[in-house]
Amino acid sequence: MPLALRDLQAAFAAHIVGADRADLAAAVAGDTIPAAARLGVHRHHVFASLGTALAETFPTVQALVGPDFFRGLARAFIGRVLPVQPVLSEYGVDFPAFIAGYEAARDLPYLADVARLDWALNLAFHAPPGDRLQAADLSAVPAERLPSMSIALAAGAVLINSRYPLDRIWETSQPGAGDETVDLNAGASYLLVLRRPDDATFASLSAGEAAFIETLAVGRSLERAAGTAFGADPAFDLSTAFARLLSLGAFAALQ
Amino acid sequence: MNPVAGIGLRSPHLSAIGREQPATGFLEIHAENYLAGSPALRAVERLRADYAFSIHAVGLSLGSAEGLDDAHLARVAALVKRLEPAWVSDHLSWSVSGGRYFNDLLPLPYTEEALEVVVRNIARLQDALGRQVSIENPSCYLRFAHSTLSEPAFLSELVRRSGCGLLLDPNNIVVTAHNLRLDPRDWLDGLPGPAITEYHLAGHATNDADGEPILIDDHGSRVSDAVWALFAEVVKRFGARPTLIEWDTDIPPLGVLLDEAARAAGVIETVVVAGGRDAARAA
Repeated sequence: MPLALRDLQAAFAAHIVGADRADLAAAVAGDTIPAAARLGVHRHHVFASLGTALAETFPTVQALVGPDFFRGLARAFIGRVLPVQPVLSEYGVDFPAFIAGYEAARDLPYLADVARLDWALNLAFHAPPGDRLQAADLSAVPAERLPSMSIALAAGAVLINSRYPLDRIWETSQPGAGDETVDLNAGASYLLVLRRPDDATFASLSAGEAAFIETLAVGRSLERAAGTAFGADPAFDLSTAFARLLSLGAFAALQ
Repeated sequence: MNPVAGIGLRSPHLSAIGREQPATGFLEIHAENYLAGSPALRAVERLRADYAFSIHAVGLSLGSAEGLDDAHLARVAALVKRLEPAWVSDHLSWSVSGGRYFNDLLPLPYTEEALEVVVRNIARLQDALGRQVSIENPSCYLRFAHSTLSEPAFLSELVRRSGCGLLLDPNNIVVTAHNLRLDPRDWLDGLPGPAITEYHLAGHATNDADGEPILIDDHGSRVSDAVWALFAEVVKRFGARPTLIEWDTDIPPLGVLLDEAARAAGVIETVVVAGGRDAARAA
């Protein structure tokens, strides 16, 4: 009795991620090329093509570890987590956490943070353009209302914090970068990822600016955000920081 | 008149095409690369004003026994509505099982059960889009022992029951025929020619499978001589159709794709003109 189509597809799926399915091999017409070699073409393609997709989404991770190491890392991840839908730019949300627990990458403790940055840049690239808040928009708001206002971040804008100098690590991994070394003890970094008209980028923030953005991002008021920023960084200057963040296009237009 | 030959639009060529506006019959995009929204989608929308488009889906998984993914179907339908392409297509294959997506065109057994599944899924797709879609013959690396129909017979029956069109890929026929020990010319017998809406052409690679060569449809080189020869035979039998050059691995400069497309147009021209001369002589 041949397998019903649904069962055949479940067996094929199990085979691809490594299960030994004798019922599937028996369903494949045999000849001089064994069923296992024929099925292997598909298993190979699934892992290779999803590995290529991960390399496109996480280019800085690949640049840091090299293509061979990346292939093994991607293989291990794909065997654990497959896409749940066919848009490959949306595959890999779990990759940074997987890297954090990946034994062979233990010597690169910053690698998971690099993956979080790559993922945030990927999300920003695919975010809707949306209108940005302009200084003129705020001049229409009565001054006494400003402190209690909350301001949303622009679509795709997100803060990536790291114990490591992530901006320097990223710069030295770009194509064409020289072989400069990065001092891993140079201190923490706070990167604001942003969508631009034709790409995604990030800006390095001070600890105060980062605390300000982080507080606004969870819907708190400007007054509360400024207070948190002073707490994190006594040198925080609200008007300078706000002007800089406005010019970066960090905020969404008022609703 | 239909555009003769076009090229698959790939992201490394996006800005060059916008800048140089090359003369090509049409452009084809993979639906799944433009569903998330991005600057690339806006670039495609700008090109849409100057070129006919084909939307080729790779992830609808029309052969899945569990049916289509509603969310993905809705996104593809929204893209089709937005770009209003001349053609929409996907493959005779499956890529989803248990809600997991395998990013491969996986093979179907050619049985009555599978036929009913694919007909049902195509009907849902065509209803959602409000238009006909075309189904592409896949590259096969294996055959299921319990298949009761040949691949062309399965496709013919699919056309008859669902009203879908056929996207005929001579490269896939050459790959399948080699891997499954079939004659590519026999494969063409009995296909419903009028249902064919588009041809695809691409290169393939030769790999080793336990000491024997197996052809892999990697879209990573120029179209092979065997495929050009079969393409001429296809055009002779079924007539001219819009023909696409696809390239997905080791993508070369844009000029190479345009060159291949010009060669495809040349084959069509030669075969159709020669055919017209024969017809005139017979009359």
